[in-house]
Amino acid sequence: MIAVIDSGLSNIGSVLTALRRIGAEAKPTRDPTEVAAAGSLLLPGVGAFGDGMAALRKHGLVEPIRAHAEGGKPVLGICLGMQLLAGESEEFGMHEGLGLIPGRVRRLRPQAGQRVPNIGWCNLQVRTGAQLFADTPADACFYFVHSYVIDCAVEEDAAGTLTFGDDRATVAIERGRIFGAQFHPEKSQDAGLAVLDAFRRIGEALQ
Amino acid sequence: MTEPLTPTALAGQRAHPAPGGPPGGPHPRLVPVLLLKHGVIVRSQLFKVHQVIGNPLSSVERFSHWNVDELIVLDISRGSEGHDLRRDDLQQSYDGDDVLDVLRAIAEVCFMPLTFGGRVRTLWDIEARLAVGADKVALNTAAFETPELIEQAARRFGSQCIVASIDAEKTDAGWEVRVDGGRRATGLDPADWARDLERRGAGEILLNSIDRDGAGQGYDLELIRHVTDAVEIPLVACGGVGRYEHFAPAILDAAAAAAGAANIFHFFELSYPQAKRTALAAGVPLRPLRLGSKYLPREPSYDRAREDARLAERLRQAEEADYPAAQPAAAIKRQPIRWCSHCTYPSISAAPMEFDAAGKCTGCQMAEVKAAIPPDEWARRTELLHDLVERYRCRDGSRHDCVVAVSGGKDSYFQVHVVKEVLGLNPLLVTYDGNNWTEVGWRNMVRMREAFDADHIVVRPSVETLKRLNRLAFQVMGDMNWHAHVGIMTVPMRVAAERGIPLVFYGEHGYLDLCGQFSMDDFPEVTYRDRLEHFARGYEWSYFLGREGLTAQQLDTWKYPSDTRLLELDLRGLFLGNYVHWEANAHIKLVTERYGFEISEEPFDRTYRTMSNLDDMHENGVHDYLKYIKFGYGRGTDHTCKDIRASLMNREDAIELVNRYDPVKPRDLLRWLDYVGMTEETFDRMADTFRDPRVWRHEDGRWVRDRLERSRP
Repeated sequence: MIAVIDSGLSNIGSVLTALRRIGAEAKPTRDPTEVAAAGSLLLPGVGAFGDGMAALRKHGLVEPIRAHAEGGKPVLGICLGMQLLAGESEEFGMHEGLGLIPGRVRRLRPQAGQRVPNIGWCNLQVRTGAQLFADTPADACFYFVHSYVIDCAVEEDAAGTLTFGDDRATVAIERGRIFGAQFHPEKSQDAGLAVLDAFRRIGEALQ
Repeated sequence: MTEPLTPTALAGQRAHPAPGGPPGGPHPRLVPVLLLKHGVIVRSQLFKVHQVIGNPLSSVERFSHWNVDELIVLDISRGSEGHDLRRDDLQQSYDGDDVLDVLRAIAEVCFMPLTFGGRVRTLWDIEARLAVGADKVALNTAAFETPELIEQAARRFGSQCIVASIDAEKTDAGWEVRVDGGRRATGLDPADWARDLERRGAGEILLNSIDRDGAGQGYDLELIRHVTDAVEIPLVACGGVGRYEHFAPAILDAAAAAAGAANIFHFFELSYPQAKRTALAAGVPLRPLRLGSKYLPREPSYDRAREDARLAERLRQAEEADYPAAQPAAAIKRQPIRWCSHCTYPSISAAPMEFDAAGKCTGCQMAEVKAAIPPDEWARRTELLHDLVERYRCRDGSRHDCVVAVSGGKDSYFQVHVVKEVLGLNPLLVTYDGNNWTEVGWRNMVRMREAFDADHIVVRPSVETLKRLNRLAFQVMGDMNWHAHVGIMTVPMRVAAERGIPLVFYGEHGYLDLCGQFSMDDFPEVTYRDRLEHFARGYEWSYFLGREGLTAQQLDTWKYPSDTRLLELDLRGLFLGNYVHWEANAHIKLVTERYGFEISEEPFDRTYRTMSNLDDMHENGVHDYLKYIKFGYGRGTDHTCKDIRASLMNREDAIELVNRYDPVKPRDLLRWLDYVGMTEETFDRMADTFRDPRVWRHEDGRWVRDRLERSRP
């Protein structure tokens, strides 16, 4: 069972539809007890970092999420949800995150001719052996809507990167069973559904 | 992560790197636009004429198989009337009549970014659309009336999901922005307006050209360039695409971030992959072409438990004559039926149609357009056809030149005549045998190989399988002839795919002729979507798997070629009626005198015509009677409409014929009941559960409907 965190600040409907489509058992929740009991956790999110953390704190979800991840159970953050996994963010002042991935969230650095937010289909470079991308073809494209990316303190945590002008941005992470996708797998057709499917299988293998 | 965009955030950046610009930016996009009007998808011309394409869900699902980059859905409904699919016997539908109900259902089958626009007036409207599955919301008239709305929306939801939609019309001096679906002038220049919208926080511009809408002559590239030069945010161009080659210049020459189009994607098989292939070849760095989805297979998967429950409930309703349950939401759906002011067509019909301001139906409008086509235009069309068949003709004797789908009727004879005598092709005739022949129909079909010196394949599924499908389809959708509708649209395409023949000819496009579904410039071809949506009503062969013990092997006849095969062979199913002047009455003389076609004088019970549907005794009989049970009209209406449009009948006489023939319970029902082993009472009760609440009321134990009456006694 995948518990999908419903903090009120995400496109949770699209995420749940995508999980249904791949045949995953999923349930939206904001109940700390359910989060603690879940096999896998999915943390979607859109909006600003500070608002996202405030919503998790308001529902008492910060500790259960940390405990879940530290207990070795799979967690996947999507878009803002991935950024919240980091130690801190510089968006609109400094904010503390969940601290599950050592690193800092910073703004994309565009070159002339590029724009932030980065919106659209982009190819990414996938680290060999990355579990989330086990079924992803080399030329797969994913759909992005973001202005910020995570700088991992530990280089091995980066599972996928995006070339953005001369900025190399980390857009997917894997650290043990803590995963993150800066893109929107629920809106990236088969490439994205395959990522969610890989996450589903990782969870089911542990049951 | 989202944030309001400020002018500083954008300073000095160009929104649309030229292809070959800095690496890593997003790919340019190719974007289908769907126009939703009162619950159905329409084809638009000059923002004025709207013809009905059909069910939004099947179009969106088809786009999902084609992996489109992004989808834009615009609600162009007017007034307070809600959304309604207009028939209840479809597999794919949505509950409720609010735009959010439609959007919610669309989001279920849409795994790509979705922009939704139309009738968005407030922040709440935006929030509601985002909540049910839109990724972006487009504002047009509301942005003009209250520009602050753009600022508030960008602040609250982020610029990335606020699209400003601009409709522009060419003037003597340049272009002018119009709002209210093109009806109201604003005096604004589109570039100035776009700059203002950008400053207020819009994240994207959707630019549509009113005068190019539906014309198929290509984009107004000057207009697009005029606006892209003025703003930094990405621009989606729309309006005017008629050929796949039209897409690339919008991106390469006019710096649009995305090339959009509506009409073209409805008419041709694999139109999106074909368009993408063409644009990639022209050097547009789009996302690579991908066909199909592992997670959303083309053949729908049905929720077995839900469907079993639905069928059981229908059997119960029939058993207990529980008509209130069979007509859910009757009170909501019942509406005054209108009839075309020119012919006898009702506003609730099996065929998708619309009425213009004067109350004339699209069928009559298109018939006028067709009648006005001058001989030199028909000559040009035939020339087009000659060019087209040259591309597909067999050069090495390894296969037939083309397949012609024939039923053995007068139209089939005429088709083969054209294909052989006018086009000089060597065809393979292919017939689906549904086991419902009239005697004369059978003789005409068998005679074809001799009359035309042509090879002929007749595909004859097992009679036991046919009986089961008759019974099942009657119970499931109130139409026992599912096997025939789908068989006719499947078997010839399948034979062609298996033999590597890239061209299949059908006769007239039925809906174009009957209800003016397309314009005469659309040249619609056979598509999987049209087959599944209109001919199969959303019920693919897989629906019947395991019902009455039917196996995948037994259902083989109804399996359509795969998309991969269709693309590889570039298989096209053409309707000859788009290229050749179709004069049914003139054909009779030709096919009887020259090819020995046998005329039937045997009258049918439900129509005054004796010429049609000789290949299937039930098509004018039980099948059509069921149409009357559902929608309150039948062949009498269909045939009088055609005769009125051909100036062979006046409306008053037609009304009398309609009222005489439409309600008749036909004699072939006895054959059918005997064939499938059903009592007449069981048939009647089951049929009654399909009566459409938009048409029928159950009062004092009787079914009542409003009917069209003569204006003079």
